[in-house]
Amino acid sequence: MTRKTLLLACVLLVGLGAWAAPKPGGEMVIGFGTDPESLDPNKITSAPAGMVLTHIAETLLLMTEDLKVAPLLVENWTISEDGLNVLLYVRKGVVFHDGAPLNAEAVKVNLERFRKSTYAFLLFPRVNTIDVVDEYTVRLNLDKPFAPLIAHLTHNFVAIVSPKQIAELPEGKDIAEPVGTGPFKFDKWVRGDYVRIVRNDNYWGEKPYLDSVVFKVVPSDATRLVLLETGQIHAMMRVPPLDAPRVAATKGLELLQIPSVRTIYIAFNYQKAPFTDVRVRQAINYAVDKEAIVKEILGGVGGVSDAAIMPLVFGHSPQEPYKYDPEKAKSLLADAGFPKGFKCTLYHPTGRYMKDAAVAEAVQAYLLEVGIEAQLITMEWAAYLAFLRKPVNEATFDMFMLGWGCVTLDADYGLFALFHTSEWAPVGSNRSFYSNPTVDSLLELGRVAPDPTSRKAIYASALKTLWEDAGWLYLHYEGQLNAQRTVAKGLIHHPREYILAHKAWLDQ
Amino acid sequence: MHILKRLVKHRLALVGMWVILAFLVVAAFAPQLSPRDPLKFSLANKLKPPSAEFVLGTDELGRDLLSRVLHGTRVSLMMAVVSVALGLALGTPVGALSGFYGGAPDILTQRLVDILMAFPGILLAIMVVAVLGPGLWNTMLAVGISFAPTYVRVVRSSVLEIREREFVEAARAVGTSNLTIVRRHILPNCLAPLIVLSTLQMANAILWAAGLGFLGLGAQPPTPEWGTMLGRSQDYIRIAPHYALFPGAAIALAVLGFNLLGDGLRDALDPRLRGRL
Repeated sequence: MTRKTLLLACVLLVGLGAWAAPKPGGEMVIGFGTDPESLDPNKITSAPAGMVLTHIAETLLLMTEDLKVAPLLVENWTISEDGLNVLLYVRKGVVFHDGAPLNAEAVKVNLERFRKSTYAFLLFPRVNTIDVVDEYTVRLNLDKPFAPLIAHLTHNFVAIVSPKQIAELPEGKDIAEPVGTGPFKFDKWVRGDYVRIVRNDNYWGEKPYLDSVVFKVVPSDATRLVLLETGQIHAMMRVPPLDAPRVAATKGLELLQIPSVRTIYIAFNYQKAPFTDVRVRQAINYAVDKEAIVKEILGGVGGVSDAAIMPLVFGHSPQEPYKYDPEKAKSLLADAGFPKGFKCTLYHPTGRYMKDAAVAEAVQAYLLEVGIEAQLITMEWAAYLAFLRKPVNEATFDMFMLGWGCVTLDADYGLFALFHTSEWAPVGSNRSFYSNPTVDSLLELGRVAPDPTSRKAIYASALKTLWEDAGWLYLHYEGQLNAQRTVAKGLIHHPREYILAHKAWLDQ
Repeated sequence: MHILKRLVKHRLALVGMWVILAFLVVAAFAPQLSPRDPLKFSLANKLKPPSAEFVLGTDELGRDLLSRVLHGTRVSLMMAVVSVALGLALGTPVGALSGFYGGAPDILTQRLVDILMAFPGILLAIMVVAVLGPGLWNTMLAVGISFAPTYVRVVRSSVLEIREREFVEAARAVGTSNLTIVRRHILPNCLAPLIVLSTLQMANAILWAAGLGFLGLGAQPPTPEWGTMLGRSQDYIRIAPHYALFPGAAIALAVLGFNLLGDGLRDALDPRLRGRL
């Protein structure tokens, strides 16, 4: 009896084991909304592009899905006592897809190239020089301590490509087909349609199960959902929130709710009247019911912003909310000299963020209630970003909607680029031309402060100033609502708004 | 009188006429007929199905769909009238002069019209909007401009026929100036095809304006416009089908009305069909 039970248990275990063991082979199709603007690490600026690139070209350090820094191409690192020297120990035995070896020189070449990147601020100008100490050791020499440096090295835009590819790249050309060290190799990119990657059989780590992965571009959320339901894609980003209950109840589909680190805001042209008046900016914050937007339009996915960065980010501290109060908004507007409101423009993307157009339309409706007549203007994503990258004397907008994923999970990344005066567009991402000396000096201090406790205090006071100054119309932070077919196993849905197929397999 | 009598006998045309009449009444009295302000929103009431409170349900911001569809009648009819008038005003003189004078200017204009007509009209309209930017007035301008080539063609072909008739000859013999001949003798005789064309183009104008709105290039929010509403509704079609249904039905009905009337008018105005109806 006992032996029989034992045998049965063994059979069951083996059976279960066989059932759960990943099956190799197959092609997985992942649906997302926005075609990458580029696959050159120096040129990419958005999460969708980062998601594709990170399968091909790896970073020095990894931000895991539970938001911890882990080794990747760099196995270990040390920071000198004064914070001015950072030693990076490069992993041995890693080769690029073209056969070139990964070593200290390759890392240096990549980081030097990154000096000219859109996101160079992640490392430069704080990093003065880069030295190759020995074949597998790199030293970064800083001019001042730079607390967020290690977090920045996890950023997917600091991806490492083959030094051979960089050397052979013609002057002024971008990398079109990145050659990295990742578990997948670049195969094909049909612009606006899909990117296909294939398994790298020589991957240094745990080899992927899938033969290939296709990232399919489907701009409409509703269409993407139909493709998932009919089995044409295996996983998708951004399920329309109001469809979520139906998806959860559908057999063969899995609904996943994952946090995101993205904050959605509406920024003002800070250098243009009437938005130069803090009362006007505060009035707009009081005029819009953010709670209702999150509950009714976003279906409760995400949360109302209580600071310029979302709660998971280091340095976050909650502020006193601007409660929906149209009467207070009207009186603030009257104090500012606009008892009857005013006309303005509100630019917004369509299909980039969760229900972005509907949110913009709701904001328009709320503003109209206090007399502010906002004209909605929407643009295609690439044109939109270009429009918002004009210098201050050419900028024509009054307000615009945008999101910022604080992907390094460090307040510096979520604040410095968006609020520091030195980051005004077109140089950086301060597209609203925000400028406040108090905020500037706090943000600079946050970068050099030695320990987490003092940094936390510095960011708390920066966030408070930004909040009271009503630097934005603070809206909400997003949550991710993804879905996959139950045959898709092992996919990682990352808070950076990535679906990762590194360890995925198809159960069919 | 003849024509009206024949039109009344044409049963489908009569249906079309009643439909259009109904839309005209709705357009004229939209504020009185609407139970609510079409811009009044309440997020808590979003995407409600038709009920006693909201007869046609609500949209994604909780606005009353009935009020929005009723106000949309105004917007759509106005867009149709303005763009057809624009097409007429642009196309008729060009067509008349081109047909009357003939020769090199005629060939030149007709080749230009050929080029314009090689594009599907809606594409031409999209092109115009792309240049001018989206919006209600630009939509009318775009649709009007893309209608002009058809008017040029129709007017020209009528003029070619009429200019050879005896009464034109007679007018010329007594020394009437060319411009007066075109104005007093030729254009009035082109009226029949123009009336038919304009009625049919009203249907097209509604459809195109709605199409541009659907693509987000037409009337901008919060303007209640059928096509824009239909465009917004597609995200919610699985959970709130009523949102797509009613603006869609309004577009279909208005287009049908103008098409039926246009067909009836063509039959009534065609001398060859006289007596057969």
